[in-house]
Amino acid sequence: MKGGLAVALGAGAIAAAPLVASTYHVLLMLPFMAYAVVLLGLNLLFGYAGLVSFGHALFIGLGAYTGAFLTTHAKIRSLEVILLAAAALGALVAVPVAALCVRYVKIYFGMLTLAFGMVFYTFVLKFYRLTGGDEGLPFLRPSLLGQSLDAMPKTDYLVGPYYYYSLAVLGLAALGMWRIVHSPFGLCLKTIRDNPAKAETLGIGVTRHRFYAFVISAVYAAVGGALLGPPTGNVDPTLAYWTHSGNIVFMTLLGGFTSFFGPVVGAFVFIYLQNWVMSVVPYWRLIFGAMLAVIVILAPDGLMGFVTRRRPALAGRT
Amino acid sequence: MTHDHSSRRQFLKLLGAGAGAAAASRLDAPAAGTQASGPVKIGVLTIRAGVAAPVGAAGLRATEWWAERVNNAGGILGRPIQLVVEEESNPKDTVERFRKLVLQDQVEVVLGGISTGVTLALGPVAEDLGTPWLSWDGTTQRGVEETMPNPKWAFKSVDNEVEAIVAGILTPKYFKGIKTVAGIGNDYSYGHDCWESYQAVLRRYVSDVKFVLELFPKLGVTDFTSHIAAIQQSKADLLMCSFWSGDATIIMKQAAAVGLFKTMKGVFTTAGGVHDSLKKEFTPEGLLLGYNTMYFDDPKGSALLKQFVREYKAKYNEYPPYECDHAFFNAESYKVAVEKAAGPAKKWPEKARVVKALEGLEIESLSGKRSWREDHVQMCNFYQGITTHKNAYDFVTIGPLEVVSTKQAMKPAGSKLFEWIAGWKV
Repeated sequence: MKGGLAVALGAGAIAAAPLVASTYHVLLMLPFMAYAVVLLGLNLLFGYAGLVSFGHALFIGLGAYTGAFLTTHAKIRSLEVILLAAAALGALVAVPVAALCVRYVKIYFGMLTLAFGMVFYTFVLKFYRLTGGDEGLPFLRPSLLGQSLDAMPKTDYLVGPYYYYSLAVLGLAALGMWRIVHSPFGLCLKTIRDNPAKAETLGIGVTRHRFYAFVISAVYAAVGGALLGPPTGNVDPTLAYWTHSGNIVFMTLLGGFTSFFGPVVGAFVFIYLQNWVMSVVPYWRLIFGAMLAVIVILAPDGLMGFVTRRRPALAGRT
Repeated sequence: MTHDHSSRRQFLKLLGAGAGAAAASRLDAPAAGTQASGPVKIGVLTIRAGVAAPVGAAGLRATEWWAERVNNAGGILGRPIQLVVEEESNPKDTVERFRKLVLQDQVEVVLGGISTGVTLALGPVAEDLGTPWLSWDGTTQRGVEETMPNPKWAFKSVDNEVEAIVAGILTPKYFKGIKTVAGIGNDYSYGHDCWESYQAVLRRYVSDVKFVLELFPKLGVTDFTSHIAAIQQSKADLLMCSFWSGDATIIMKQAAAVGLFKTMKGVFTTAGGVHDSLKKEFTPEGLLLGYNTMYFDDPKGSALLKQFVREYKAKYNEYPPYECDHAFFNAESYKVAVEKAAGPAKKWPEKARVVKALEGLEIESLSGKRSWREDHVQMCNFYQGITTHKNAYDFVTIGPLEVVSTKQAMKPAGSKLFEWIAGWKV
């Protein structure tokens, strides 16, 4: 009940942000919402299936480039079409990648996903005529629900309709993922994570479940990637670079992969913390590196770990 | 169906209401004109990490030198300058930094931008936010063609390929009888565009020239052994190299180790960016070396240049590269434009009046006269010449010095690069 209230309050705060927060902070919420969608998917793999991917920037890049390609080359501006296309392409690419990767676990799985991520990065960098190479591709302003909204100043578009559209997508993505992780499929994933040998003896198809989890997470990453494009207006190969994969793993660890909303909290804190630290210290990467070390050593359950650890104590007092 | 349409309309109304409310709440939107008191906030975007960090540092140092100089002289229209520095990194993060400078810090102008991959994204954002943005070294070109021919707020750098065009013009002058050419550049648009532009120009002067090898190692590579072996194998008369960062120094060292330039001429279009690392012990005389838009040791250099070089050396123990001139020009032209737009009343002008004043403006920069073309592209001179050891430094300088204007070496506004080169009367 308390959790539901916290989620309602969080959703309410996000919905109210354009009315109370400064424009710049509202704009920062856009990558937060896009990453939140990505991380809900990534955590299905990480938190629920126990597989750490260092290559999911592949799917973020794929989603972003799908939107850029459709708006620039195919003259398709509908964001609904873009999101569906990104999801479909994400699934399509994920099928062979997942089929190979989920045969392995631990470091071997991580390295394979990293390798596929870098293959895609090299592809977008080298196939200049299709992808624009290092210069990338413009992501033209998409229409929302059939409305072009081209006449609106870009910032108004972003902090208004696009903001609420992103929030709606995030809401649907969260609802969908909630259903997934609380379904028998989600329970099977947790069983596999905790004891794959026992899961196998119980008749759970370990590889098959990991494969589905991978494909679903790729779809989420591609949709999130497509949402990242419009605020920047240009997509480029750094979206698919391995450091970007590292960033989303960092966000997950920061918020806590043992909690459903942990990665979402991680995305929020990461973005606002980076925004602040970058302005204050030129060597902000050092600070983030030190933070990662501290989290892994002292707070393996991330920020949400503090909340969940406090709960029994609070309950005991009442 | 009717129900669906109705629901959709309701949702759109909600979206519209949200947009309206959000727009109405944008009280922090950048103002067209700001209060004419207190410090003038100037945003600076600069690279602080990776191979281009030294370039970013040079631009920032020159901006700081300019700000100190202007503040000592009483500021702009009596207002002191306050620099707000943010990092240029990837396009997504840099766009966020740009928005922070304008929306959060409420700067009057944003200076900086080096990577064209980044500045391609910044251009439309500057137009949307209605704040002048003067780019140090980044263009809004995709490849060699312009994407923003008529900007209002964005002021762009010189076209990326100009140094290669200048080198193409000077190659036949200094290296007569060249028949075969090998090329090496970084594997991204700059490297490819410079190579294509150089070839197009050289073909106009030497119709039977053959380009026998092209190599594009990744930016940041530090071992060129195999590349140098391939260049030797090609037996080309000349090597054209468009490296601009530490890799120019590294390839020079590794080439010297195998005596590459004993049998081959060399053209380094942009290595002047790391000029004081090109030590005499491994950099031969007789190469064509490009210093881009400022030559620190220009014998005809102004008192301003000499003062800047002297103070830069004293403070950082280095000799300044060309990025300093881009940065100084941007900052100084903004100041002059504000003063021009203010008129005799000396009232702080609106941003729109400042950008109008910038168009066509010519000022005295470190390298001499520089100006803004009407389509917001920088106009200046390019400095290239033949490397020599006859100087007081431990690194090479150039002499004779060739000065080529962008009026000659940069495509005119609205034209296509290769069509323009094809139309030259040579």
